[in-house]
Amino acid sequence: MARVLVADDDADIRDLVAFKLTQSGHQVTAVEDGMAALRALREGPPDLVLLDIRMPGMSGLDVCRELRAAQETASLPVILITARSQEGDVELGFSAGADDYIVKPFSPRELSSRVNAVLSRAER
Amino acid sequence: MIPLDFITGALLYLLAVGLALSLLVTVIRGARTLRRRRRERVAAPVRGLLLELLCAPEEEQGELLERMARIDRRTWTALEPTVAAMLGKVSGRARTALVRLYEMRGSAAQAVADLGSRSAVRRGRAAQVLGQLRHRPATPSLCRLLDDRDREVRLAAARALGRTGDPAAVPHLLRSLHGPRAVSPKIVTAALTSLGADAWHRLAAGLQDPAPLVRAVAVEVLGVTGAIARTPDIVRALREDPETEVRIRAARALGRLGMPDGLEPLLAAIRPGQPAAPRIVAAGALGSLGAEAATGPLAALLGDPDPHVAGTVARALLRLGPPGEAALRGAVRDRPDTRAAAQARAVLAEAAVGGTRHDVLVEVSL
Repeated sequence: MARVLVADDDADIRDLVAFKLTQSGHQVTAVEDGMAALRALREGPPDLVLLDIRMPGMSGLDVCRELRAAQETASLPVILITARSQEGDVELGFSAGADDYIVKPFSPRELSSRVNAVLSRAER
Repeated sequence: MIPLDFITGALLYLLAVGLALSLLVTVIRGARTLRRRRRERVAAPVRGLLLELLCAPEEEQGELLERMARIDRRTWTALEPTVAAMLGKVSGRARTALVRLYEMRGSAAQAVADLGSRSAVRRGRAAQVLGQLRHRPATPSLCRLLDDRDREVRLAAARALGRTGDPAAVPHLLRSLHGPRAVSPKIVTAALTSLGADAWHRLAAGLQDPAPLVRAVAVEVLGVTGAIARTPDIVRALREDPETEVRIRAARALGRLGMPDGLEPLLAAIRPGQPAAPRIVAAGALGSLGAEAATGPLAALLGDPDPHVAGTVARALLRLGPPGEAALRGAVRDRPDTRAAAQARAVLAEAAVGGTRHDVLVEVSL
């Protein structure tokens, strides 16, 4: 079981991701923006972070950069969630230090597989 | 002089109007929030069931679908906006389950019926749902809505037609570009682009339309969707269309397609004596095409009197790679005090600092 932090301003996506990952046996904390994600990270670092790229206020890219800049979270696995129309953001995401990305619309099964794959890579 | 009483009265009147408007906005917002909360409260008990359906393995979906199909009408009305939104957010088995759910509840048939509703909100909403469901049988009804009296409904219908993926909608979408109830070219272009290769044949027919905007959009979409089989039609548009905007888009399309057949017409399009805009776009397209044979004709235009043409030509040469770069260096070396050398030097310097602009933008509206 891994601790996963999910940050997405879309309540439907947030609930879906939390439900699927909980169903897959993970412990999920879901928040609705980048600032809340950073607060949750300070309270207790998870094993993996899922970030929506476009969030009001602090974007997923900003959060990712902050994570990489801090020594204690520099190697924390990060997966970005992006819409198909924003696939150009993916390049920026990798530059910001993300490990993988998921494009909306996505299948819950694919999401679970990606999360597990990134977690396995991080364990090695 | 204006009497003080009049000024005071006017100010009080404006204040009263401002307060009344603020109150109205607050009441409307409050009512919306209440309605949303009530809907969320009603839908809450079955929201978990919806998530379970979306995440369930195939063998468990049947039973969950049965349960969701039995949800009472009031609860379904509250949940349905979430289900409709989810259609655009999930893919694979989860999406198939949602489409099946709509079928089981008869909601697709209801949406088709709602396309004829007197309420513009219902018509627009129905179009949106049918688009999300990619419900092809609704194509004829959606096409009729492209001429709806309500602008938002027309936009919803155009978007929905893009999602249904039925190429039969192409002539209707193209026709919706003009007339008193025209649909935004941006929305129509996006819808036509979504239809992909299935739309090519009908788009090519659109190149014969008497309306320049229709021809411009048709040729643009052919380029964006990679219609290499339609290169001859696009070449014809570049050579023969009387409208500058159509020729511009045809040149851009040929650059995007990257077919060798585009070389000769693009070279013809950059020759002096023609309007600058198509020349600029054609020069940029030659850079995209990457054909070495374009090097000579492009280099000859480095000293063009139009600085935009000359600048685009220089950047296009750079994009051709070593032969184009050699031509630029040749211009600097052999014609040192000319306009051509200045253009070449500028572009080579830009490239040296990694700042070369590759995009050629020419905005012309019809």
